[in-house]
Amino acid sequence: MARTRSTKAASAANGDQSQPVATKSKYSPPVDSNEPSRVFILPTKATSAARIILLLNPRYSKPTKYLLCPESGLYEFTQIAAPKTTPRSWLIERKPAATEEAEVQAQITNGADLFIATPVDPLFVVLPALTSSTASKSDDGKRLFLTSEDHFDSLSDSASTHFSEVLRCEKTRTLFEARMGAICDTVEAGDEKMFRLNEKKLIEQILLKAKALGSTPLPPSMEDKFVKKVLEAPLSVQKSDVIKTETKEGHDAPSLESVESQSSVSTVDSATTVDSTSSLASAASTAATSVSGDAVEDSVSTAMKASDDVVALQRLKVAFSFICSGHVSPTTATRLEGLLKERNMSGVDFAPLEAYLTELAKLRAEAASARSMADYSGKRHLDDEAEEARAEKKRKLEEEKKRKASASRGVRELKKVNTSGMKKMSDFFKKK
Amino acid sequence: MLEARLEQANILKKVVDAIKDLVQDCNFDCNDSGVALQAMDNSHVALVSMMLKAEAFSPYRCDRNIALGVNLTSLTKVLRAAQNEDVLTMKAEDAPDSLNLVFESSDNDRISEYDLKLMDIDQEHLGIPETEYAATIAMPAAEFKRICTDLAAMSESVTIDASKDGIKFSCNGDIGNGAVTLRSHSNVEKPENNVDIELTEPVALTFSLKYLVNFCKASALSNQVKICLSNEVPLLVEYNLSGSSYLRFYLAPKIGDEE
Repeated sequence: MARTRSTKAASAANGDQSQPVATKSKYSPPVDSNEPSRVFILPTKATSAARIILLLNPRYSKPTKYLLCPESGLYEFTQIAAPKTTPRSWLIERKPAATEEAEVQAQITNGADLFIATPVDPLFVVLPALTSSTASKSDDGKRLFLTSEDHFDSLSDSASTHFSEVLRCEKTRTLFEARMGAICDTVEAGDEKMFRLNEKKLIEQILLKAKALGSTPLPPSMEDKFVKKVLEAPLSVQKSDVIKTETKEGHDAPSLESVESQSSVSTVDSATTVDSTSSLASAASTAATSVSGDAVEDSVSTAMKASDDVVALQRLKVAFSFICSGHVSPTTATRLEGLLKERNMSGVDFAPLEAYLTELAKLRAEAASARSMADYSGKRHLDDEAEEARAEKKRKLEEEKKRKASASRGVRELKKVNTSGMKKMSDFFKKK
Repeated sequence: MLEARLEQANILKKVVDAIKDLVQDCNFDCNDSGVALQAMDNSHVALVSMMLKAEAFSPYRCDRNIALGVNLTSLTKVLRAAQNEDVLTMKAEDAPDSLNLVFESSDNDRISEYDLKLMDIDQEHLGIPETEYAATIAMPAAEFKRICTDLAAMSESVTIDASKDGIKFSCNGDIGNGAVTLRSHSNVEKPENNVDIELTEPVALTFSLKYLVNFCKASALSNQVKICLSNEVPLLVEYNLSGSSYLRFYLAPKIGDEE
């Protein structure tokens, strides 16, 4: 990917499709002073025929901007924003065009937002049509074989998207149909191809992506929060400095549900921020970037350790739910999660992971109860000791005070007098 | 039981004031002859002996010997409630656990009554023999007090040198030395200012000034003080109370470590 400095007026991106999107900076559209410049990173693979178009976001069913290139495929935009606490901006300088000397040469954006176009599988875009549209289902709820035209029609309903226009391009249409074919059962009816969603194929496709994502360790923040922490066994109770970490763990429920809910929540957040700033980017989940990296201390000894198999499975699961959380509608995502656990559907055996997690939950419960007990008794013990020590100290202090009070100042002073060389009275006077 | 009435609370107040800085706790031994007290300081180098004869009280009644173990600081607190001219009455059971003190004001009809808790004090009694002293000096109590406090500012100890020339109090301190010499002196008009020296043989002894200053707190009890010295015996400082009652202090001389 090349980093380019092409700027687009929002209006151009919105309606005017004929305006080509340049990947080279030599192409600079007329500057509209009302529209601030934006910084994009576009793929070099994308040809000059690529367009920024509006499509329905499969996750949120909202019109979202995508970059569509008939040759290289579909790209979604990910907005990378600087945190509000540290404001930044871009200084954008255009290469001086020989003809336009009077043009403003450089400008500063009011935010340091960066839009990155990343490839997205077109099957996610068509998925809502395959799953939810009423046309694709018969009266008894069974899915029917429909032509691609019929499927696409349900997507083109909304006037706010460019889907129908996009499909006029033959290459793009083939691209979408090819991806659709990957997740559907097809039948040939005359010269037309009929499609019906096959969930097993869909899961296979998503798992393929998930495996690619999970084959290497996930990004550190994701790895920490959703893999390490979830699989981490409770720490030994004797170490007092560990208690804090344990409490933290106790707060985020260690089940996978929490993982999913967290990831989806953060996705929603990022999506809304994107929408509010500009509806340019499709909201890919920025959960990973929003997660604060609570690095877990590895030095502390744990009661049980997850095997590499279990870790890999957990990674796969997290990657799967991550993909679903970004590109699949919530209802479909929940259904897919359920189907993933069925071995004959997914082809992956999650049993070792399940077993490990069950064991872990038990261990955690034990540790929690042990800790609370230890805390209780430990505290009591400490209290008693401290109480005793305090009482002893107080008693001594009081005794001292009493003793001092019972002796006059003169008597105390007299104790300091040097009596060396003075005999005792009993040396002079005999006892009676 | 004990019942002793003092016309003036004054005397007891002053006695207790004089010894409370020397002794912490002590027994007031009451018998039919009067109230006696003997106690030593913590270092056992000084001894205080008090005798309040039965005549000092009116009336005085003590059926059997009673030891009233008293913390002098506590007794001071109670006696502070008595005016100097109040009539003081001490009452105690035969085996008392508290001492009852009643102060009656002669001016108005104010009667205050206090009970002081007593304590068991294990105290050894020393037999003090009658001693013929080599030198006996009678002098105004105020004068003795002045000499002691003046010299105490310079040094820790004082040498009392009694010879036929007079009596010389001398000290040697870090900042210098000083000496006060008194000769026999008689004032017909004011006999309380007399200085009377009786000497059988010259004697010179060194004493701790801190202790002597402490003894001088009894100066309020009497105009005259009697100082008796002899080699190898403790110094006696005696304040005469009413009649044959007395308050005596004994102090061991400093031997051997002349700086």
